[in-house]
Amino acid sequence: MGERQRLGPAAIVALLALAAAAITLSTLALRLPVTLWPDALFAPDSGDVRQMLVRYSFAPRLATSLLCGAALGLAGALLQLALRNPLASPTTLGISAGANLALALAMLWAPGLLEFGREWIAMAGGLVTVLIVLALSWHKRLSPLTVVLAGMVVSLYCGALAALLVLFNTHYLAGLFIWGGGSLSQQDWTIAAFLWPRLALALGAAALLVRPLTLLTLDDDHARSLGLRVPLVRLAALALAVALTGAVVGTVGVIGFIGLAAPALVTVAGARRVAPRLIWSALLGAVLLWFTDQCVQRLAGDAGEMLPTGAITAVFGSPLLLWLLPRLRLSLHLPSGLGGSISRANRPLLLIVGLGLGLVVLLTLSVSVGRGLEGWSLSADLLEWRWPRALAALSAGIMLACAGGVLQRLTGNPMASPEVLGVSAGAAFGLIVAMFTLAEVGRGAQFGAATLGAFLALLAILAFGRGGAATPERVLLAGVALGAMFDALVTALMAGGDPRAAQLLNWMTGSTYAVDATDARVATAAAALALGSLPLLARWLDIVPLGALTSSAIGLHPRRSHGLLLLVTAALTAVSTLLIGPLTFVGLMAPHLARFLGLQRALPQLVGAALIGGVIMVAADWLGRIVAFPWQIPAGLAATFIGCPALMWLLARRHSV
Amino acid sequence: MTRRGFLAGAASCALFAPGPLHAAGVPARIVSLDYGLAETLLALGVTPVALAQADAWSSWVVDPALPEGVINLGTALEANMELLQALRPDLILTTPYLARLRPMLERIARTETFAIYTPGGGTPYGLSIAATRRLGGLLGRDLQAEALISSAAALMATTRATLAPYADTPLFIVNFMDTRHVRVYGAKSLFDDVIGLCGLSNAWRGDTNYWGFATVGIEQLAHAPQARLIYLEPIAADVLASLHRSPLWNSLGFVRAGQVQRLPAVLMFGMLPSAMRFARLLGETLPKAPSHG
Repeated sequence: MGERQRLGPAAIVALLALAAAAITLSTLALRLPVTLWPDALFAPDSGDVRQMLVRYSFAPRLATSLLCGAALGLAGALLQLALRNPLASPTTLGISAGANLALALAMLWAPGLLEFGREWIAMAGGLVTVLIVLALSWHKRLSPLTVVLAGMVVSLYCGALAALLVLFNTHYLAGLFIWGGGSLSQQDWTIAAFLWPRLALALGAAALLVRPLTLLTLDDDHARSLGLRVPLVRLAALALAVALTGAVVGTVGVIGFIGLAAPALVTVAGARRVAPRLIWSALLGAVLLWFTDQCVQRLAGDAGEMLPTGAITAVFGSPLLLWLLPRLRLSLHLPSGLGGSISRANRPLLLIVGLGLGLVVLLTLSVSVGRGLEGWSLSADLLEWRWPRALAALSAGIMLACAGGVLQRLTGNPMASPEVLGVSAGAAFGLIVAMFTLAEVGRGAQFGAATLGAFLALLAILAFGRGGAATPERVLLAGVALGAMFDALVTALMAGGDPRAAQLLNWMTGSTYAVDATDARVATAAAALALGSLPLLARWLDIVPLGALTSSAIGLHPRRSHGLLLLVTAALTAVSTLLIGPLTFVGLMAPHLARFLGLQRALPQLVGAALIGGVIMVAADWLGRIVAFPWQIPAGLAATFIGCPALMWLLARRHSV
Repeated sequence: MTRRGFLAGAASCALFAPGPLHAAGVPARIVSLDYGLAETLLALGVTPVALAQADAWSSWVVDPALPEGVINLGTALEANMELLQALRPDLILTTPYLARLRPMLERIARTETFAIYTPGGGTPYGLSIAATRRLGGLLGRDLQAEALISSAAALMATTRATLAPYADTPLFIVNFMDTRHVRVYGAKSLFDDVIGLCGLSNAWRGDTNYWGFATVGIEQLAHAPQARLIYLEPIAADVLASLHRSPLWNSLGFVRAGQVQRLPAVLMFGMLPSAMRFARLLGETLPKAPSHG
């Protein structure tokens, strides 16, 4: 890393604090004449609304933003130190998603539990998810990338469940949108009073952990030889981080990115030793959230329309993280299982034919078997409703799997896929922009906007990954940042109760419900085109990873073939995202499953992945239609329910390799 | 299966529709994808064959109760088309909110869209009157429709007389979303219309979306200290306890004056029957509050 003159953590904190203080004071001056400030803060006149608002809304909100930011910054630093993983944070480990889901479940089925306090429910949910994440990655000795991968998968699963609950109970769970958006709006000091002793306690506990955590920065064997009980220290730090996160998400909701950005920024700014990293992370988290929240209040203005701060932090935080990315010192290893070699199938052709037959059988089942008022039936008279959905699901599955396979080969990154790299999010982003700016959005415009979004996202990701070694982790992190930004935008829209948001949610969950015959035909044609061009793509893919020199020696123009591959990937992602939303993990899973079955070379792997992707999506569409009849689970969500466990099983199983 | 479906349908026809009295061409098997349209159907003496989200009716519409045997179509945004087709409806009632579904619905049966909550002009109460009339015409129940419209007007007038002593106290009508946020109903909401017809005024002057509400932090209610607050069920278990502990809440004008009242659930996106239910509940509830001064 170049020895350029950098701002130290103290300077960053001071600068941000100065800016935040300036905004705070000017906002306060608008709300209440300066002469009344001491009165309002120390002896408010309960007859004066302005004074009461400053004393019981403005001031506690400020305190809460500082406390929550500090708690999240500290939690993130603890997680990053304990797991030796610069990507670890309450969000990336699934703690926030688990807390969100637990709260949704409690609101629906055990409203009595709310009386014990939302924070306890949230904390329990966060604890359960982090334990699952750790259990899934335990056999890999908590290797950083495996932990984050497991965290993302578990997050996704919780998110899918919560989305399903919201979809079926839109009226009841409206409050959850606000909570999920992390609104800091306050009416008294209870939340601040709840948080500060816990934060103080956590700081004390963290101080005790400084020495063991310092030893932990050595590698495990060294630490162990110095008499450190590595798992114990890790668990203590993790438990502390979960408790901090639970306290925050349970009281004000999900606040994205502070827990990831603050510690990362501190590290980049030059804090190396454990104690300064913990302290500066907490301080930076506090001022970051303070600054953001003051900006949000200023933006929302006196009309006070709903702008949840937590969602806004993610919108601010993502670009920050992208900026940080080339500056982060990432020395990670790939999880051995996913990248490792696997025995090759003896008869790849037979395997592919088998997969194809399975797909045909499933497709037949899906269009002929369904449920009605009198129970199950095998009938052909409802074919006109079923075939477009089934074909659209099939095509989307094939295209996503191809896109995922191409990306994994191209970047040499086993974690790459349109969903993980934020390409799907880019497509979705393009679509949303079109939806909210244009009066009428036809399919053509939708496709155009989505492709543009996907392509830009892909370019951005690759640009950020380049420069120095394009380590898989950097690319991955950039993708996570983009995905989170998009998520935050949707959450912010939902919290305000915009009716378009419900439709957005419906589409995001990957519903094939409204697919008509024309859509299905276009999708099928696109998928067929993708399958047809696989041999060509595969030739490039077998060569591109060999390096620019070899490929140009063989007669390939590396730049052009690279660019064309990217364009194809973006287009495939855009079409399938339009059909089944950005949330499935088919593009990540299918190529891995194909490899796992022993399909190694580019062409057989891609064909196998396409077939597997098709199988997953057709099954998802079919099951989604019949499982909860007359309700329908959107195919994208159903695919998540099928795909995530498959991926978790892969993760947990590969330890023996 | 289709034969049995037909028999089931025929049976429900015989049960709910006075068949012989019907003129030819009047649709008998009606499906509604919207609660407001369904409650209007019931008020006109017609029971829908099926309804979207029929299971949650009792929590949001409450009165009148949904007759037994109304089939649930799943969520409104994704009403089950296969089920809908098997039910062989004559007429499907929908709203612009579900515009996306219209091409599919039209493949199944005649589809009529009623716009009550849209970005276009008009107030929900006025649009509901027009919609009720149109619905009455479609179903050959013009008389019942006119009767519903005039009984709604009469109820508004009597409520206005009952509530005359409260005319100078503006009202906040809210749903508690959680312990810190409310959905407050203002311009373009059905409740706002009813309040106006009953001679009362709305304390919420801020912006609302075209469904007639805004989602805001509770502190935003501080700006009208002389107002009265009416909150609607359902309300989460921990909201009231947490409010009672809040000094800001306790310092709000309507809290100090004891002018906070609870109302059973009323459909916020409803039509005339919900407007009437809301007016009736207001008429019963407001006089129970401690008087001024």
